[in-house]
Amino acid sequence: MPFYQPGLLHAPVTPFTRERTIDFDHYAKLIEFHLANGADGLALPMHAGESVSLSDGERRTLVEFAIKQVNGRKPVVAHVSETGTAIAAALARHSEQHGATAIIATTPYYWTPPAAMVLEHFIQVGSAVTIPFFLYNAPDEMQGAKVNPELCLKLIAQLPNFAGVVDLSLDWQFMIELMTDAPRMRPGFQLLAGTELMVSASAIGATGMLAPLAGIAPRLVRELYDLCRDQKLFEARKVQEQIAALRQALKPGGVASLKAAMRVMSRDCGEPRPPVLALDAAAYQKLVGELEAIAALRAEARDW
Amino acid sequence: MTTKFKGVMQSPVTPFKDDFSLDLPTFERLLDFHVRTGATAISWPHHKGESLNLTIAERKLFAEAAVRVVNGRIPVTIHVSALAVEDTMELARHAQDIGADGILAITPYFWTPSLEAIHAYFVRLCRSIELPVLSYNSPSYLAGVEITGDLISRLIEQLPNFVGVKEASFNSEKFLEISRAALAMRPDFAMLTGVEYLLPSVPLGGIGSYSAAGSICPNLCSQLFDACMRGDWPLARELQYKISWLWLLFRDQYPSSLKGGMVMMGRPVGPTRAPLPTATAERQAHVRSELERLGILETEPHGW
Repeated sequence: MPFYQPGLLHAPVTPFTRERTIDFDHYAKLIEFHLANGADGLALPMHAGESVSLSDGERRTLVEFAIKQVNGRKPVVAHVSETGTAIAAALARHSEQHGATAIIATTPYYWTPPAAMVLEHFIQVGSAVTIPFFLYNAPDEMQGAKVNPELCLKLIAQLPNFAGVVDLSLDWQFMIELMTDAPRMRPGFQLLAGTELMVSASAIGATGMLAPLAGIAPRLVRELYDLCRDQKLFEARKVQEQIAALRQALKPGGVASLKAAMRVMSRDCGEPRPPVLALDAAAYQKLVGELEAIAALRAEARDW
Repeated sequence: MTTKFKGVMQSPVTPFKDDFSLDLPTFERLLDFHVRTGATAISWPHHKGESLNLTIAERKLFAEAAVRVVNGRIPVTIHVSALAVEDTMELARHAQDIGADGILAITPYFWTPSLEAIHAYFVRLCRSIELPVLSYNSPSYLAGVEITGDLISRLIEQLPNFVGVKEASFNSEKFLEISRAALAMRPDFAMLTGVEYLLPSVPLGGIGSYSAAGSICPNLCSQLFDACMRGDWPLARELQYKISWLWLLFRDQYPSSLKGGMVMMGRPVGPTRAPLPTATAERQAHVRSELERLGILETEPHGW
């Protein structure tokens, strides 16, 4: 397995037309925007890209399209999380065949399997490919299904391409325990911050970051990442607080807020797919006000 | 002006005789040990001090001993959280009467109070005394009950003696939500964390922590704090990993194993009250072998 250090991964939204089909014209524009605005690589389609609202065929088409559009300029990491283990493994294989640099996967959706089956799930998904496999630990998004350090150590022992954890638990206890043991068992094992809250993760040893807010505030995201990479952690606090304010403003509406914010920044990618509802007019106006109050957003581009 | 509640503050365990009655002479020795070995403040009785296994009369008795023995060398705060809020009010008044430097109070137990109820609780508590009040946020132990950024802002605005928080979620986003709200309004607000999670909190504005392992390894506590404040992140990481390993060792049925470890450091403090178990000889031996492996036995003081 080649060593791959992802650095700052942008996680684009998935644009939809009025009819809620994938809007590939805008997706191409969006990919170009990310590449021109600080991405070291792209991770797609993440939950922010509504992966779970795409059909299996659409996911494949989307990944193929993105890799063609990027055309080798930067790595593309494919998100292959699924409910069924075999379905996720097939997506993983497809991604590798079409040129993905790495794959990323969560615990299975919906089911709450015992620890041994979660381990089995990851082994089957990871061993479906030879490219690096990153485990996405997102307990809040996954209804509490947690990945613990013990599982990660077992995976290291059994999965040669298990390259690291993308952490959205934000849990200091988990991250410290993981990084105490995992890099000793697998030199080069990486911790990536699973969202734009990187200062604490970076102090603990994170070397990368997955950024769903990069379509909205790419400058701010890049500034935070660079300061953390250079271990200027005290200097990073102010930037981190601005991004935390942005995250908090977007949190209530989830993907609907993310897409609304894309529109506020004049990069309209349409509305989310059902069952997610678009923000209503009042919620949209409230969000506009909250975004206006975030000083750091004024330096961000308001076009494509 | 900076807060006097900073650095690694020690919360002594509560020593018992073999018949589970309070052991005052050993408590006095322990307080003196903490003061001599670098504690920046004393706070008693935390959950680690088995606060909820003590009667209100016992809590008052040892609170008086703490103030008397420390004798102004460092600040002493009293943890007043109790099942009944009326007991909390009484302990707070008592703390003021005996000359303590402040109190610490968690969000109310059991009732999973609403934000409004938590607000009313802290307003009543802070207005009942003139002492500085530190709040205590511990959502994972209290069914998700937590202090929000908005709540902190309201409390700071209304209450001049609301001076800090022990933020024990150990979560980047929750810490940031509170720290950025609090520090913007009151720059000397004491952002403290539980256990010794200094590495992830100091770069975000954290100014200190309470301590789980301070009765085992006071030198390590001071070294970690100094490394964090200096921004020596590689050293801080190494020390944080080490002290966090001790937390994993002690976390289960805290503070039983910790008391067991104190035996191995030549500072026996007796059993743990039911419903918590007392560390068995096997458990003590296991703790000892871990302390040996981490080099604690050679680098930390033995005996009183």
